[in-house]
Amino acid sequence: MRKIWERIGLIFLNLFFIAACFIALVPILYAFSVSLNAEGSILGSDFSFIPRQLTLENYRAVIMDQPVLLWLGNTLILAVVSVFISLLISVPAAYSLSRFRFKGRKQVLRFLVLLHSFPAILSMFALYKLLSPLGLINSKLGLILIYIGTMAIFGVLNLKGYFDSVPVEIEEAAAIDGAGALQTVLRILLPLAKPALIVTALMVLIFVWNEYIYAITFLTGAQNYTLAAGLYSLQATEMRGSWPLFAAAAILVSLPILIIFFLTQKHMRSGLTAGGVKG
Amino acid sequence: MKGKRRTLSAWFSQAPVLLIIALIVVFPIGYTAYISLTNMNVYHWFDFQIIGLGNYLKALAVFDSGFLGALLITLLWTAVNMVLQLVIAFIMASLLNIQKLKARRVYKTVLMFPWAMPGYVSILLWKNGIFNSSFGLLNQWLEKLHLAPMRWLAGDVSAFIACLVVNLWLALPFMIMIMDGALQSVDKSYYENAILDGAGWFTRSVRLTIPAIRPIIAPAVVITLFTTFKQFDVIYLLTQQVGAKTGANIHTVLTYAYENAFVTNNYGYSSAISMIIFFFLIAFVTLSNLKRKEKKA
Repeated sequence: MRKIWERIGLIFLNLFFIAACFIALVPILYAFSVSLNAEGSILGSDFSFIPRQLTLENYRAVIMDQPVLLWLGNTLILAVVSVFISLLISVPAAYSLSRFRFKGRKQVLRFLVLLHSFPAILSMFALYKLLSPLGLINSKLGLILIYIGTMAIFGVLNLKGYFDSVPVEIEEAAAIDGAGALQTVLRILLPLAKPALIVTALMVLIFVWNEYIYAITFLTGAQNYTLAAGLYSLQATEMRGSWPLFAAAAILVSLPILIIFFLTQKHMRSGLTAGGVKG
Repeated sequence: MKGKRRTLSAWFSQAPVLLIIALIVVFPIGYTAYISLTNMNVYHWFDFQIIGLGNYLKALAVFDSGFLGALLITLLWTAVNMVLQLVIAFIMASLLNIQKLKARRVYKTVLMFPWAMPGYVSILLWKNGIFNSSFGLLNQWLEKLHLAPMRWLAGDVSAFIACLVVNLWLALPFMIMIMDGALQSVDKSYYENAILDGAGWFTRSVRLTIPAIRPIIAPAVVITLFTTFKQFDVIYLLTQQVGAKTGANIHTVLTYAYENAFVTNNYGYSSAISMIIFFFLIAFVTLSNLKRKEKKA
């Protein structure tokens, strides 16, 4: 008797999780099936999640008729440069904050934590005032500066936290063996801190990929847009019926991030330090 | 002598990053603080003057100005979100940890999707795909049931609930993962006595599980508290996109500051609000750091 009840319970448990999974996927599934649906009228009430007639027309239209490839290029340039410079300037700072005890160290750390709580979106007006006389509005350099600056505190604190967990003794041993400071960092510490470096780089990459509000405010002209700004501009409003096109674009834009996420999920846990500096 | 050189080289290696932080983070805060004391707006774009604390008074002492209302909504938003997230994530994680559930790994992977998707894309998909009044999924379902379609994002209450649903959808995967990890780290032998004593799931959860996982999930909960309080994208993208407002008038402090700067161009007033939000957040940070130190001591 108990076994039967257990089995019934298990069936309900599975049904519950299948429902939960459906909810977790529903906007994505809907967009996916709309983007593949060949029947022009999706407005009918007989919509089904499995398209009766498949087509790739929406994907073709997004890639060929919209400047998506241009946007992808812009995004990649911004992302690669931002990631590279972020690591280049965060690593030395994080290293010295982790290893050296110098005057002002505590104050710097406390200051960074406080500054980190200021929401980036509230800086937009002041940054516009700062960058506009410098001619850095509607320029890649301006956005790169903003992206690097916004992610810099996270980068420094996250890397510093990870460096703290690497025992100093390893470096001291290398120093005794005659390795210079720079060599020790490059050959010993950085390989050991690989998970944190990867995670920091990914967080900057994902941030740049997903950032839309600065991009739509600071960039003008569709040819200068990033993917996020472009997708924002493609939205179907209540009036216009460009929803299938938008759905296809949304799927395309998300795909790289989904792949990166599921490939690096394991690194994410070890590379983000326990205290956490996100948010 | 050596100490001085060390200090110098330490500062030298931090110079580039501190410089860019000064430019992109510190300057805006300082400039915002300055503008918050002026009457800068559309009419006084260049010839603005210092007017003292007037903007702060307007925000904090005049209820009709809207800031206090937005603050109340933000607090409500944060509280409802946190409670629901913690309760739902705890139940889901507990269910995922039932021994006999074989398909656990599949469910866990699928449930992570909302976290993996780019946030703004998901929000736009909810807006255009689910809540849209002409071709949104919800209204299609209503039609099938022969009910009148709804304008989900037009009313304040329904828009608030819609934002809440989307935010939960976005945030729950992270919380479930944290809870799941915490539950797995709890020593199983811990429970045996309780089970022998005949304690049910609820009693065990309240008496044993929750106290055991609390210190493990605490950092993640604090982080989520901050992100929820500072949530902008969900409310902005669902209801307030420039040129595509849906009619609902729910503001959190961040969307309120944004609207006053970029829609109605009340820069002085918006800056004062930004500074008030910043003071709030600093108080939050200091408080949570103090608590953490207390526990360590």
